[in-house]
Amino acid sequence: MAADKSEVLQGTLDLMILKTLQALGPLHGFGIARRIEQLSEDVLTLNEGTVYTSLLRLQQKSWIGSEWGVSENNRRARFYSITKRGMKQLAVETENWERIAAVIGRVLALETKA
Amino acid sequence: MWESTSAFVAKLKALFSQRVADTAFDEEMNTHLEMLAEKYEGEGMNAREAARAARRRFGNPTLLKQRQRESRTTMFFANVWRDVRYGVRQLAKTPVFTMVCVLTLALGVGANTAVFSVMHAVLMKMLPLEDASRVFYLHTTGWPDGAFQTGDASTSFSYPIYRALREQGGGLQEVMTFIPMSTSGKVAVRVGAVAEEASGEMVSGNYFRGLGVNTALGRGFAQKDEDDHTPVVVIGDSFWATHYGRSRDALGKTLYLKSIPFTIVGIAAKGFEGTEGKMPVDLWIPLQSRPEFNAWGSPADEGMYLSQPKMWAMKLMVRIAPGISREHALAKAQGVFEQAAYTGIAPKHTGDPTYQLSFKEARQFDTEDVSFARALRILMAMVGLVLLVAMCNVVMLLMARNASRQREFSVRLALGAGRREIVRQLLTESLLLVSLGGVAAWCFAMGATHALGSWARIQSSIQPDGVVLGFTLGVLFLLALVFGLAPLRSAMSSGPELVLRSSAAASHASSQQVRAGNAVIVTQIAMCMVLLVGAGLLLGTLRNLLKTPLGQKPEGLLVFGVHPQHAHTKEESIAFFVALQQRLRTIPGVESVSMASSRPGSGWSSNNAGVTVDGHKPNGVEPGQANFRKNTVGADYFRTMGVQLVQGRDFSDADSTSAPEVLIVNETFAKKYVGTLNTVGHVLTNSKGGHPILIVGVVKDHKYTSITEEAMPMLWTVFTQGGAVSQLEVEMRTEGGDPLAMLPTIRKALAQIDPDMPLLEPMTQSAVFTQSVSQQVLFARLAGCFGVLTIVLIATGIYGTLAYRVNGRSAEIGVRMALGAQRSQVVWMVLRGSLLLTATGIAIGIPLAMAAGVGLESSLYGMKPLDPVSYASAIAGVAMVALLASIVPAGRAAAVDPLKALRAE
Repeated sequence: MAADKSEVLQGTLDLMILKTLQALGPLHGFGIARRIEQLSEDVLTLNEGTVYTSLLRLQQKSWIGSEWGVSENNRRARFYSITKRGMKQLAVETENWERIAAVIGRVLALETKA
Repeated sequence: MWESTSAFVAKLKALFSQRVADTAFDEEMNTHLEMLAEKYEGEGMNAREAARAARRRFGNPTLLKQRQRESRTTMFFANVWRDVRYGVRQLAKTPVFTMVCVLTLALGVGANTAVFSVMHAVLMKMLPLEDASRVFYLHTTGWPDGAFQTGDASTSFSYPIYRALREQGGGLQEVMTFIPMSTSGKVAVRVGAVAEEASGEMVSGNYFRGLGVNTALGRGFAQKDEDDHTPVVVIGDSFWATHYGRSRDALGKTLYLKSIPFTIVGIAAKGFEGTEGKMPVDLWIPLQSRPEFNAWGSPADEGMYLSQPKMWAMKLMVRIAPGISREHALAKAQGVFEQAAYTGIAPKHTGDPTYQLSFKEARQFDTEDVSFARALRILMAMVGLVLLVAMCNVVMLLMARNASRQREFSVRLALGAGRREIVRQLLTESLLLVSLGGVAAWCFAMGATHALGSWARIQSSIQPDGVVLGFTLGVLFLLALVFGLAPLRSAMSSGPELVLRSSAAASHASSQQVRAGNAVIVTQIAMCMVLLVGAGLLLGTLRNLLKTPLGQKPEGLLVFGVHPQHAHTKEESIAFFVALQQRLRTIPGVESVSMASSRPGSGWSSNNAGVTVDGHKPNGVEPGQANFRKNTVGADYFRTMGVQLVQGRDFSDADSTSAPEVLIVNETFAKKYVGTLNTVGHVLTNSKGGHPILIVGVVKDHKYTSITEEAMPMLWTVFTQGGAVSQLEVEMRTEGGDPLAMLPTIRKALAQIDPDMPLLEPMTQSAVFTQSVSQQVLFARLAGCFGVLTIVLIATGIYGTLAYRVNGRSAEIGVRMALGAQRSQVVWMVLRGSLLLTATGIAIGIPLAMAAGVGLESSLYGMKPLDPVSYASAIAGVAMVALLASIVPAGRAAAVDPLKALRAE
C-alpha cells in the first residue's frame, strides 16, 4: 500500500519537474526545487533530495537531458532541460492529470442524498 | 515500451561508469546544499544554523546516494554474478555429485550428438550445392534386354539417354553426368615420381556449373572441354592440400592419370567432395574418348561408353529449371527416356515392362543401402535409450540433492530471502551444471563422431551437429528445471519455521517424492533391460560371425589389384598377367601367387545363370534357372587360397590360352546341378548347348563374397582362357611374418614393369574378410559399450537414491532398532525395497526387449531374437548391479546407532 502512495507522489513530482523545465528552460536541481517551493506556496513540503531521484528517472526515460554549466553565482552545476520526447510526454500527462482532476472534482462535488 | 528500453540501455551504460557517476552526484548534492545554506544565511541565519537547516530540508544524503546508485544501474547482473559464484561454491562443495552429473551428461548427450551427426550426414544432409533442392540424382528401375550395364543397376544410363535428356528434356535446366574411372572409384595418378591411387571421376562440361559449385582457384569445365575431351583436371581441396600444400602454383601443373598428362586448371571449392557420399572425390576430368578412360575402367573391346549405345555406365544428375515442378520435369524426362533407352537395340516388345525414372534428392549419400540406414537407425534408438537413462540419473540426483537442501532453503527464507531469489539460484545452478555437461559433451562428441565415421568407413569429413547438441541440451535443461524445481514447493511450503522443527520431521521425504523417484528407477531398469538384451544379441552375432569357418586360410595372404595401363587388347592383357605371375613368383619369400577377377571377401561377385550338364538339364533344373556365381582366376588359385580340393586338380600354368578349356566347381554346384560329388570329367555347356568346358576339379565350399553368405553353386574358370582382363586381384601367399612387409619389394618389382602402375588397395586377405563384417563389428561393439554405460549409470542412480533415502530415515531406523528390530531386518527392509523396484523394472523391460529384438532380427546372424542366453544374462546383470548398488546403503542403515539417532532428535 505504501508503495502505491509514493508512486502517485513520484508521478506528480515528475510532472511538476517536466512542466517547470518546459516553462523556464534549462535549470539546475536547486533552481527546480526553488521553483516548486514558490509555486506550491509552502503547501507542499518536500525533501529536496527526492528531486534528484526524479531527475534520474526522467533522464533514463530520455524525457530530459542534462549538461554541466556554470550557475548564476559561479558554481559548477548540472543543468537539466526537457527533450522533444519529454514535451510529448508532458502533453499526454497534462491531459491525463486534468481529466483525473476533473473526475475527482466531480466526485467530491456530489452532494449526499437527502 | 520505448521508455523501458531506453531506461534499460541507460542502466546498462551506467554499469560501466559507476564511480564517475558517484562523484558527479556527490558534487551536485554538495552544490545544492551550499546554495540552500547561502539562501538561509541571506534570510538571516548564522552559518551553522543555515547549514543544519539546509541538511534538514534536503533529507538524508547517504540514503539518497544509496537509492540513486541502486536506481541508476541495474542490480540484475550483480545478482546473477552472485548466484553464479554461489552456485559454483555449492557445486564445488559436492565434487562427486558434480562430476557424476557432468560425466553422465557428457556421455549421454555426447554419444547422442555423435550418432545423430553421422546419421544426419548419411541420411539427411544435402550436398553443398547452390539451390540444392532443385538438384536430383536420376534413378531407373531397369534397362532393356540387349543392353548391358556397368556400375550400379539403378544409377547407370547410356550415352544416347544422356544426350537426349540434355537436348529434349524440357523441364531440365541441366543434365550432368559423372562416371567413376574404375569399379573401386580410384585411378592411377602420379604427381611426382610416386604412382598412387586417387578417386577420380569423368564428368560433363556443365558439371560444376550445373551443380552450382564454385572453384577456389582457376576455372571449372566448359562444354568445349567435354566436346574436345581436353586433358585438363580440376582437383579437390584435400588433394590440393596433400599434394601441393595449397600453393597457388598448382594451377597449370601437370599430373599423370594412367600415364596420360593432364593440366590442372582449377581447384574445387572447399567442402565439395563430389557426389558419391562415402568416397570423397579427389579429382575430376572432362569426359574422355581414349580407350584407357572407358567408363568404370572397363576394357575398351566391349565398346566405349561414348560410342556403344548398349553400354549403360553413366551416372546422371539433373537440375530442374526454375518454376517447373518436380513431377512435371520427371514426366517429361520419362518420355524422353523411354524413347532413348532403345537406341541401338531391338525396339521394345509389347508386354515388356516400362522402366521408370525417378528423382532422388541430392543428399550427401545417394544410397540405396537400406541395411546401412537401418543400422544407423537402430544405433540412434540405442543411444536414445542411453540418453533417457542418463537424463533419469541426472534428474534423480538433482531431486535428491534439492530435497536434502530443504533446511538450507528454509534458513534462507527465515533470514529474509525472497522465494524468487531461491528459484533464481536453483535455476543458475541447473544451468551451470548443464553448461559444464554441454562443454564436456561437445568435446566427447568431436572425438566420437570422428571415430564413428571412420568405423563406418565413411571417408568424407563429418562434423558433430551443433543444432542437435543445442536441442538435446535444451531438453535436458528443461527437464532439470522441472525436476530440480519440483521439490521446491514442498521445501518452501514448509516455510521458514521448518528450521525450528526437529531434524527427523524436516528430512522426511514426502511419499509423493518417493513415488516419483521409484517411477524413475523402474523406467531406468526397464530401459537397461532393453539395451542389455540388444547388446547380448548383437555380441552373439559378432561371436558367430568371427567363428564362422571360412573354408580357406586367409592368414599369410597378401592381396592387391593390378591394372595394366598399356594392355588394350585381349592378347596383350593376358600376356601381361601371365608374365606378372611369373615375375612375382621369383620374389624371395613368396610361396605361391595367383589371381582373381573378384577379390574374395570384398562383396564383389559375378552372378550368372544358364548352364547344361553334358547337354542335359542340370539335375532336373531348367537351364535358365540354374543360377551360379563365377570367378575368373589364375593358376594355383586354390593352393594359394588354402582351399581344400575334394576331387581332381587345381588350375596350372598348363591351362593356357591354347589348351582345352577347363573349369572347377564347388561341392554345392556338384550336388545341386550334377547330382554327385564325382563330377570330374563332366562337361558344362551354356544354356543353348554351346561352348563346352570340361570340369577338372571339385573344391570344398568356402566363403566368397562375405562371411555371412550361404553356400551357393559356384564355378571358376581361368583368365588365360577368357576374354580381355582390365584388372586382376593378385593373391600372394608369403612365408611367415606380416604379409604387408612384402609390399616395398613388390612395389619395386611393379615399378620396373611400369612406373605409372600403382598397387590397388593392398591389404591382407584376413583384413578383407574382417572388413566385410566391419559394420556388424562396429554395431556389436557400440551396443556393448552402451550396455556397460547404462549399467554404470543405473548403479550410480540406484546407489545415490538409496543412500539419500537411508540418510533421511536414520531416525526412523533408530526408533525401529530401539524397539527391538534386528540388524538383518533393517538390511532386508532396505534391500526389499530396491529388489521390488528391480523386479518391476525387469518385468516391464522384458516385453519391451522382445519388441526391440524383433526390430533387430534382420541385423542378427545365427541368433534368434528370443535367445534365452541373452535374456538370462541381461536379467542376471541388472539384478546383480541393483543388488550391489543397494548393499552399501543397506549396510549403512544397519550400522545406524539407535542411541545416536535418537539423541540427534
